[in-house]
Amino acid sequence: MPKLLIVDDEIDIREFAKNFFQKRGIQVFTAGGGSEAADIVANERPDLILLDVRMEEMTGVEFLHGLRESEDKTRVIMVSGVEDEAIVTEAENLGIVGFIHKPLILGELHKVVMAELEKIV
Amino acid sequence: MLIHSFFLFLSSVIVSSLGMIVFVKRKKSHANLFFFLFTMAISLWQISYGIAFLPIPHELIFFFFKIGYAGITFIPLFWLFFVLAFLNQTRVLKSLSWPSIAIAVLWIFSIAFLNLPIVSLFHYPWGAYPKVNIIAHIFFLTYFYGLFTTSMIFLGLDVFFSKKFHKDLGAIRSRYVLGATIVGVFAAIDFTPNYGLNIYPFGFIFMLAFSAVTFYSIIKYRLMDVSIVITRTTIFIFVYSLVLGIPYFFAFSLQEWLKAFLGDTWWLSPLILLTVLATAGPFIYMAIQRKAEEKLFQDQRRYQATLRQAATGMGRIKDMEKLIGMIVHIVTRSVRIEHSVIFLKEPGGKKYKFEGARSRHKMKWEVKELDTRSPIIRALNKVQQPIVYSELKQRALDSPDAKFDEVARQMELLHAELVIPSFIDENLIAFMVLGRKLSGELYSDDDISVFSILASQAALAIENCQFYRDMRATHEQLFQAEKMATIGIMADGLSHQINNRLHALGFIAGDALDTICMKKDLPMSGAIKDVMVDLEHALTRIQENVTQGGEIVRGLLKYSRKQDETLSEVDLDELIDEAFKMAQFKIKKDAMDLITDFPRGLPKIKGNFTELQEVFFNLFDNAYDAMMQRKEELKEEGYRPTIKITAELHAPKWIHILIRDNGIGIKAEDQVKIFTPFFTTKLSSKKGTGLGLYVIRKLIEENHKGKVIYRSEYMKGTRVYVMLPAC
Repeated sequence: MPKLLIVDDEIDIREFAKNFFQKRGIQVFTAGGGSEAADIVANERPDLILLDVRMEEMTGVEFLHGLRESEDKTRVIMVSGVEDEAIVTEAENLGIVGFIHKPLILGELHKVVMAELEKIV
Repeated sequence: MLIHSFFLFLSSVIVSSLGMIVFVKRKKSHANLFFFLFTMAISLWQISYGIAFLPIPHELIFFFFKIGYAGITFIPLFWLFFVLAFLNQTRVLKSLSWPSIAIAVLWIFSIAFLNLPIVSLFHYPWGAYPKVNIIAHIFFLTYFYGLFTTSMIFLGLDVFFSKKFHKDLGAIRSRYVLGATIVGVFAAIDFTPNYGLNIYPFGFIFMLAFSAVTFYSIIKYRLMDVSIVITRTTIFIFVYSLVLGIPYFFAFSLQEWLKAFLGDTWWLSPLILLTVLATAGPFIYMAIQRKAEEKLFQDQRRYQATLRQAATGMGRIKDMEKLIGMIVHIVTRSVRIEHSVIFLKEPGGKKYKFEGARSRHKMKWEVKELDTRSPIIRALNKVQQPIVYSELKQRALDSPDAKFDEVARQMELLHAELVIPSFIDENLIAFMVLGRKLSGELYSDDDISVFSILASQAALAIENCQFYRDMRATHEQLFQAEKMATIGIMADGLSHQINNRLHALGFIAGDALDTICMKKDLPMSGAIKDVMVDLEHALTRIQENVTQGGEIVRGLLKYSRKQDETLSEVDLDELIDEAFKMAQFKIKKDAMDLITDFPRGLPKIKGNFTELQEVFFNLFDNAYDAMMQRKEELKEEGYRPTIKITAELHAPKWIHILIRDNGIGIKAEDQVKIFTPFFTTKLSSKKGTGLGLYVIRKLIEENHKGKVIYRSEYMKGTRVYVMLPAC
C-alpha cells in the first residue's frame, strides 16, 4: 500500500485530504508542522510528501532543507499559495517532483499524486 | 449765384454715386438697376438745373431746363419700377412698364419739340426758373401724384398688411423705403418757384435724404430699428433748429433793441450766442436722445442690463451644468425668446455637443451634436461674429450662394434666429443658439453687441468650468490611485489568508463530491438519489467558485507586488510561443488559427520576459474568449477564429505589435471601461476576473514605458496595439 504524508497547518486540509486519499486505498499520514512531519518521515518512510510552503512553526522550504540535509530523497510535491513564487525556485533547486498552486481542485491533485505514486509501484 | 448751382452739382454727384455703388454691387438685380436709373434721373435734373441757374444766354437756359424736365419726368417712373422690383411684384411691373415709359417719352417729346409746358422764365436772385402753363400743372399733378401714390400704396400694403407674423428683414426694409418715399415727396417744394414765389428750390435736400435712406436699406443687412431712426432725426431737427433759429431770431427781430443797448458791436451778441449754442448742441442732442431711447426701449434696456450683470457673475460659477443652465435660463427669460440652446466643444475637439436648453414650448431637439466641419461651425469660425438668420436669408436672396443656403438650412434645423459664438483666442469653444423673440421683433444691433459681451464672458466662464472639471477628475484619479495602492498593501496580507480558506473549501467540497461520486451508483431510494444529485451539483459549483476566487487573488497580487523590474532582451517569437503555451490549458489549438507575420531582423524587445508573457497570455486569452463567444452567439457559417499578429519597427526605437482577432468585439459603451479594474463582460464573470487589461496596461505602460491601445468594433473584432521599446 503506497504511503502519503500530508504536511499542512490547516486541520481542514489534513482531514479532508486524508479522507480523500484513504478512499483510494492509500495509507495517509498527516502532520500539522515540520517537526511532526520529520518524525513520520523517520518512522513511516512515506513514498510521497505533499508539503505546504507557508506554515506557522517551520516553512515548507525549511523542512525540505532539513530533509535533504539528512540525505533523504523522498519525493516531495510542494503546495504553494499565490505569493510564493520566489520560494518555488528555491524549492526546485532542492529537488522536488511537482509544484501546485493553491487553491486547487481535488481532482487535479488526485491526478498529480496518482501519477507520482504509480511511478513507485 | 454760383453757390446755388454748386449745391445742386454736389447733390447730383452724391446721389449718382450712391446709385452706382448699388448697381455695381449686384448688376443682375432689377431693383438695383432701377435704383441706379432713378439716381441717374435725379442727377440729370440737378445738373441741368444747376447749369441753368448760371448766368448764361437765354436759349441755353431754356435748353437745360428742357433736359432737366426729362430727368424729372423719369424720377417717379423709375422709382415706381424700383419699388415694384424691390417688392418682387414682377407681374405688375411688366404690365405697367411699357405704357408708362411711352407716356413719359411722349411728354418729353412735347417738351423738347413743341415747347408745350415752358412758357417763359422767372428771374430770381438765385437764378432763372421756368414759368409753366396749365398743361404742365395738370400733367405733373396727375403724373407725379399718380406714380408716387402707386408706389406708396404698394409699400404700405407690404408693411401693414403683410401676412408675415414674423417681422423679417424684408418687412423692415419696406418700412425704410416707405419712409424714404415720404421724405422724397417734400421735394415738391421745388414746384413753388414755377408759380412766381421767391423760394430757393431746396428740394434736392429731400431727394438726397430719399436716396440715402434707400441706399442704406439696400446695402446694409442689419438695419437699425425704424423708430430709432425717426427719433434720432426728430431730435436732431429739433435741436438744430433751436441752435440756428434762436440767434437768427435775435439778429433779425431784436436788431433795433440790441443796437440801442450794445451800440455798433451789437452783432457780436448773436454771434456769441450762436457759438455757445453750437457748442452745446451735440451735448443737448445726446442727452435728449438718451432720455428718449430709454423710454422707447425700456424693455430692451432692462434685459440688456440683466444680461450684463449675468455676464459679470458667470466667472464665479464652477459647475458646468449650472453655468450652462443659468445662461440659457437668463437669456430665455429676460430677453423673452422662444428658446435658447448651448453647444459645447467636446474635449476631443471633433464635435460640438448639445449641453443645455430652455424653451417656452415643449420642443424636440433633433440636432444633438454638430461636426466641426458642418456649415454653421465653419461660418462661425470664418466670420467670428454672431450670425443672424433673417440677415443670412436676405443675403442668400440677394446673391444666391450654396454656402448661404447650407448655413441657413442648418439654422432652420436648429430653430435658430441668432447664433452667437464664444471664442477663446481663435478657438470656438461654444456657441449659443437663440430662437425668435416672442414679440416677433428682430434682434437689434444693440442686442447683438450685448450678446457678444455675454458670449465672451461665457467663454471665459466655460473655460473656467472645464478647468475645474478636469481638476476634479485629476483629484478623483489620484484618490482612486491611492485607494488602489492601499488595496495593494492589504492584498498582500489578505491574499494568503483568503487563498488558504479557498483552498480548504476546495478540499472539503472536493472530498464530499468524491464520496458522492463513489456512492451514487449504490442502490438507494429515489428521494435520496435526488438529494445526491442536488448535492453533487452544489459541490461542483463550490469548486468552480473556488477556482475563480483563486484567480482573482492571483490577479490582485500581480499588480500590488513590486516585481523584478529589470529589462533584458526579449525575442518576440519566443515570447509569443511561451505565452501561447501558457494559454494552452484553455485554448484548443485546432479550434483556431494563429498567424504571425513580422519582418526578419526585427530587433529584440527591451522588456521583462515574465511580465510580457503575462501580457500576451492575457491578450490571447481575451481574444480566444471573444472568438468563442462569436462562434456560439452568431453561429456564422464558415467562421474560423483567427488571431493575427504583425509587428514592425518604428523609428527610432519602438516596436509596434498589432494583435488582431475576429472575435465578438467590444460594445462601444464598454470600451471606455475596459481598463478599469474588476470590470469584465465575460459571461456571468465565470471566466473573467476583470483584472486582465488593467494588469496589461500597468505592465506595459508603467514597467515598460510603452503603450497599449484597444480598437474594437462590436461583431467584427478587436485590434490591440502594443508599443514596446526596442533594444
